[in-house]
Amino acid sequence: MFDALIEGLFLVLQWKAFSLMLVGMGLGFCVGLLPGIGGAATLALMIPFVFKMSPVEAFAFLLGMHSVAATTGDITSILFGVPGEGLSAATVVDGYPMAKRGEAGRALGAALMSSLVGALIGAVTLAISIPIVRPLVLTFGSPELFMLSVIGIACITSLSGLSARGQIRGFATGMLGLLLSTIGQERQSGSLRFDMGLMYLWEGLDLVPVLVGIFAIPELVDLAVRGTSIAGDRPAENLSRGVMEGIKDTFRHFWLVFRCSAIGVFVGIMPGAGGGVAQWMAYAHAVQSAKDAKDRERFGKGDVRGVLGPGAANNSKEGGDLVPTIAFGVPGSGAMAILLGAFMIMGLVPGPDMLTKHLAVTYSMVWTLVIANIITVLLSLAVLNQLAKVTHIRGGLIIPFVLLLVFVGSYTANGQIADLIVTFCFGLLGYLMVTWGWPRPPLVLGFVLGKLVETYLFISVSRYGFAWLAHPIVIFLIVLMVVVIAYPFVREKPAWVGGGD
Amino acid sequence: MKVSGHVLFSVFLILVAGYVVYAASHWSFKTGFFPMAVAVPLIVLALAHLLLEVFGAPEKAGGPAVEAEFSNDVSPEVARRRVIEVFSWIGGFILFVYLVGFPVAVPLFIFAYLKVQSQVRWLRSMVLTAAAWGFFYGVFQRVVRLQFESGAIQFWLGL
Repeated sequence: MFDALIEGLFLVLQWKAFSLMLVGMGLGFCVGLLPGIGGAATLALMIPFVFKMSPVEAFAFLLGMHSVAATTGDITSILFGVPGEGLSAATVVDGYPMAKRGEAGRALGAALMSSLVGALIGAVTLAISIPIVRPLVLTFGSPELFMLSVIGIACITSLSGLSARGQIRGFATGMLGLLLSTIGQERQSGSLRFDMGLMYLWEGLDLVPVLVGIFAIPELVDLAVRGTSIAGDRPAENLSRGVMEGIKDTFRHFWLVFRCSAIGVFVGIMPGAGGGVAQWMAYAHAVQSAKDAKDRERFGKGDVRGVLGPGAANNSKEGGDLVPTIAFGVPGSGAMAILLGAFMIMGLVPGPDMLTKHLAVTYSMVWTLVIANIITVLLSLAVLNQLAKVTHIRGGLIIPFVLLLVFVGSYTANGQIADLIVTFCFGLLGYLMVTWGWPRPPLVLGFVLGKLVETYLFISVSRYGFAWLAHPIVIFLIVLMVVVIAYPFVREKPAWVGGGD
Repeated sequence: MKVSGHVLFSVFLILVAGYVVYAASHWSFKTGFFPMAVAVPLIVLALAHLLLEVFGAPEKAGGPAVEAEFSNDVSPEVARRRVIEVFSWIGGFILFVYLVGFPVAVPLFIFAYLKVQSQVRWLRSMVLTAAAWGFFYGVFQRVVRLQFESGAIQFWLGL
């Protein structure tokens, strides 16, 4: 095994594989910065180019691109409040307020370093877990995956106010998100729901226009209202010091980064749990880790922990995602399903062969994740000084350019004018929600998880009736869900009992 | 503002959830179960929130939700005017795209915004517009090769 690990490293370091990895990284860097054009779509576009490559070269190219897109997506989220990737939305919640406070360098430093740590943890997990993860994945059927999604929804508790009314608002907006996810064709029977006679809605609302609209438009409106630069009239931060501070923050809160990375790996390993879930669960966990209500108040207003958690989970998920893809040929996400296509093109069959005959190729993927992330973070740190200066440019100059990115990004979802209208509507909704004090993160969490919850619930009930509720892992997960919901209240008991409605 | 916003949004949620319950009641069990299972508790929650807002004591702090806050450095009148302005620009951009398509709408919108809204000088506006269009054309049309629909005007003119 150790020999294969070393062989995998040398395979990646061969000049051709390494050069292709650098090319892939360059593409991934740009794709990550552009809102809407996700890593999965770019993987699909690049698949035709791998036909003449060897397996190691092809995976160095594709994985180099994919892993970098996850990292650089955070940069746009922090600088403009526009999710660079659909999955980077949770980074916006605290990253953009930090940029508004003149701490863009610190936020970027924290995001990049936590992404690197997350990616390394994901890669190490991939390296050591492939032979032992089989029983875990096979134990998780639809009931367990349903409960896992419900735990994700239970994270709403952490994202809502701790008062009774705050909790109601959190759960109500979460439910609104769940309802929005039901728009379109119902997967089991094929019936149409809330399609308003529009063919556009048959496939349901796409994540990109919804996320970009609900997060980016309100921030752009606020920028226009303020009439200043993103960082306002605050003096420019000492960028080098700010970036270093962000890097130090990663190690100051290393235990949190580690836990959030573990969440990312776990969600990644579970096939079909969805990439967006990992970031939001990690974000909710970061909020739950606040010492008390006062400490918790900092989240959403620019707390570096709100950047560290999602940043780490977003990248550790990539390693986790690869585990079921390589070990069983079960893709953990859309991107991995496309990568599975590359396996077929290369003539590789995911499964036992990847752990025996092609173990060196498998480890070359691990090394690609490690090397690509290290190079990206180092390169990004080198150009951060220039990137962060954007936050000091007058808002009036920035707004039309960001609007261009927002709407072209949304348009990539379906290539229809309706994508722009959906973005506008959710922008308006997001603006009203912030103005009126209703939280947006629970809505997004509900929307992201809605389809999964409904599908897994349907399969569980169809297959097991209600007997699935007695599955041992389901019972464990129900207990875990109760803990997730009760934890913020138990922690805040004196304040909550005395200060609630 | 916040109190009325809480009330208004509660009413909005009740209306949305009410419509969902009405629509789902006409569907098969399989199709309507999940929306119904979500909408009914949503009505209860939104109604409880509405009643608490209208008849309950003022809300005490219990730790705010994780959410951004808009700046309040600008007077409400100016803020309201600017909000309407920026939403009008966004709506106008979408209308532009519908009428003439992205490739034409992008330079028109950027130049108009810079010149009219941001009051940037002519030369600077033109240079920035050219840069934005170059970026749009180079990245989205040449490299990524996104397909952009033609505008309605081109369609009407048969172009």
